[in-house]
Amino acid sequence: MWKKVFDWLDERLGLNDIYKNLLDRPEPKGNWWNTLGSASLFLFILQGVTGIFLTVYYTPSPDHAYDSIQYIMEGVAYGWLIRGIHHWGASLMVIIVFIHLLRVFVTASYKYPREMTWLIGVGLLLATLGMGFTGYLLPWNQRAYWATTVGTQIAGAVPFMGDFILKALRGGPDLSALTLQRFFAAHIWILPAALTGLVGVHLYLIIKHGESHFPTRED
Amino acid sequence: MNDETKQKINERYQKELGRGEFFWPDSIFKDLIVSLGIFIVLVLLATFIGVAPEAKADPADTSYLPRPEWYFLFLFKFLTLYGQIPVIGRIEWLAAVLIPGIGIALLTFLPLLDKSPYRHYSRRIFALVFMAVVVLDIILLTVMASLPAAPNAQELEISTRLQATGGLWIPLAVLALLAALFIFRRDVYRESTRRSLPIWITVAGSLAMVAMTVVVSARAAAYPKPEEVEVASTLVDQIFAGQDLYSVQCVECHGDDGSVAVIEGVEGLEGEEITPINSRDVLYTITDSAMYEVIAYGRPNAGMTPFGKTYGGELSKSEIDYIVIFMRYMWDDRFELPPEALKPLFPRLADGEVPSYDVHIAPIVKRYCISCHREGKENNNYLMTSYEEVLTTGDNVENNIIAGDENSYLLQVIQDTPIMDPEKPDEEMIGVMPPSGHLKPDAIEAFIRWVMNGMPETAEDAAELSVVPTPETTPAP
Repeated sequence: MWKKVFDWLDERLGLNDIYKNLLDRPEPKGNWWNTLGSASLFLFILQGVTGIFLTVYYTPSPDHAYDSIQYIMEGVAYGWLIRGIHHWGASLMVIIVFIHLLRVFVTASYKYPREMTWLIGVGLLLATLGMGFTGYLLPWNQRAYWATTVGTQIAGAVPFMGDFILKALRGGPDLSALTLQRFFAAHIWILPAALTGLVGVHLYLIIKHGESHFPTRED
Repeated sequence: MNDETKQKINERYQKELGRGEFFWPDSIFKDLIVSLGIFIVLVLLATFIGVAPEAKADPADTSYLPRPEWYFLFLFKFLTLYGQIPVIGRIEWLAAVLIPGIGIALLTFLPLLDKSPYRHYSRRIFALVFMAVVVLDIILLTVMASLPAAPNAQELEISTRLQATGGLWIPLAVLALLAALFIFRRDVYRESTRRSLPIWITVAGSLAMVAMTVVVSARAAAYPKPEEVEVASTLVDQIFAGQDLYSVQCVECHGDDGSVAVIEGVEGLEGEEITPINSRDVLYTITDSAMYEVIAYGRPNAGMTPFGKTYGGELSKSEIDYIVIFMRYMWDDRFELPPEALKPLFPRLADGEVPSYDVHIAPIVKRYCISCHREGKENNNYLMTSYEEVLTTGDNVENNIIAGDENSYLLQVIQDTPIMDPEKPDEEMIGVMPPSGHLKPDAIEAFIRWVMNGMPETAEDAAELSVVPTPETTPAP
């Protein structure tokens, strides 16, 4: 019976092909350093899931952002846990992604034929930092407000187009409801969309070229 | 890279695959274990450390020291140190945009810059030591940025110099040296016998950087810790915070229970008629946000000054919120005060027990007196914000509190006996205190016992003075 169901599904979905191409791949002998990429992916998914839960109660307006988070922490069942995981997950993700980069650098895994994987990876790092920067403002507390004030000011130091960048980031000369709205949009739509796309390409390239082996004297 | 090299690399990889493992189940097993571990760590962090509470954003509070998220701290520190460099330190975009831009560009195009096909560590000494110095510097700058600020200008200069040496100049010198060797004497990276030179440079430079950071940290350990701003996160904490703020900011005019209808003893507002703010008239008709606005903007027509920081007052946004919460839960009968918020002002005194400043007097003073008896108020220079001030300030300090003397001015005025001016016997020199309302009998009793027994400061001092071996003090119901 199960065999029949499986065969029917396999015929239509190509389950065996997936197994062969995705899971049953030979790889060089690896060790625990090889888990950093999948750990980053896991954290990205975890941040996505907890983030989706948070948006159920979070309100991106200066009048309500702070109180809505207060409510998540005090009023919502296990809201503190979801926010706690999202909060710490953000820090941990930056650490893990950074160590992942260092690992790839040290073993020179960015060399032929994996140059593009590295390039996309740097994009992923920058997008992760962007997530951190935009997410930091959302609680709309003192720390968030002033850190973003200074952060956007620094971006405004770019010669010639600094003023434009500053206004584009803030939605005006000062931090306002518009800033919060666009940081929110960047944090939950623009950057996650970019990240998802880049992760897809990154994974495709890893499957295409396989994981690199640890270099020996021969390399 | 020519096709021959490429083919060699690919063949070499096939060989590695041949003696390798399989993604399923070998690799994915490790991946799952690590992911599970991460998840457990996060749950533990969220449960036992949580997210530190922080006050609501307040654009008016320009005194707030901005700090970025920790993983940007190194950049923040780098900018500060860079700003100390003469001449080019003034050109902010060099450090803020150009140098990080170059860093990101180098990182991005690394595979195109590093064209050598070799992967083994021994053939990549330059790349490895260069990256090691950069990463170490990032870590050390983060450490430096998280230290408390220097207490004075002199110390600030010294610590900035030390930080600039350890976090900017030494790494810069090491990187420059490594790069110069790479460009002009590439053989030192190639020949195995002399390969040790760049490594020794890196090790020595790193030790110097770490040593500088240790020195800076050791000096910073002696700095005064920055004041921890307490943020009330639970409802009960917020009610208490609101009560404390109310005691300081509002009691002067509105009384400790908000019942004042005619203001007494406040210069300029004497005799002003106001609506008791604990009345249903006020509480039922004014919404939270309107109440917030009255406190923030004041009511200039009725003599109430603005209290919000933006408008010249002392209160931040969060603090005004706490006062509104306090008023609601204390006086509005539609709100139920949580039982934990109903604790007595001070523990009840047993027979023969001597009260102390810390345990008994300070809370009473904070609730009923500080509103006027602090800097910048009309109070005959009598300040009451600390033990020392209570005993040693004021125009009448010599008669105000005399150990063992029940005619101490303080004791008289809180018992409805004003002090008359010795020169003009029919004029009050000090009116009864508090100007509006009375202290509760137990508070008056505490003051009397405290003065009669020599004003002990701490609970231990008071316990020694107590006559009867005191049974465990139990809080009043």
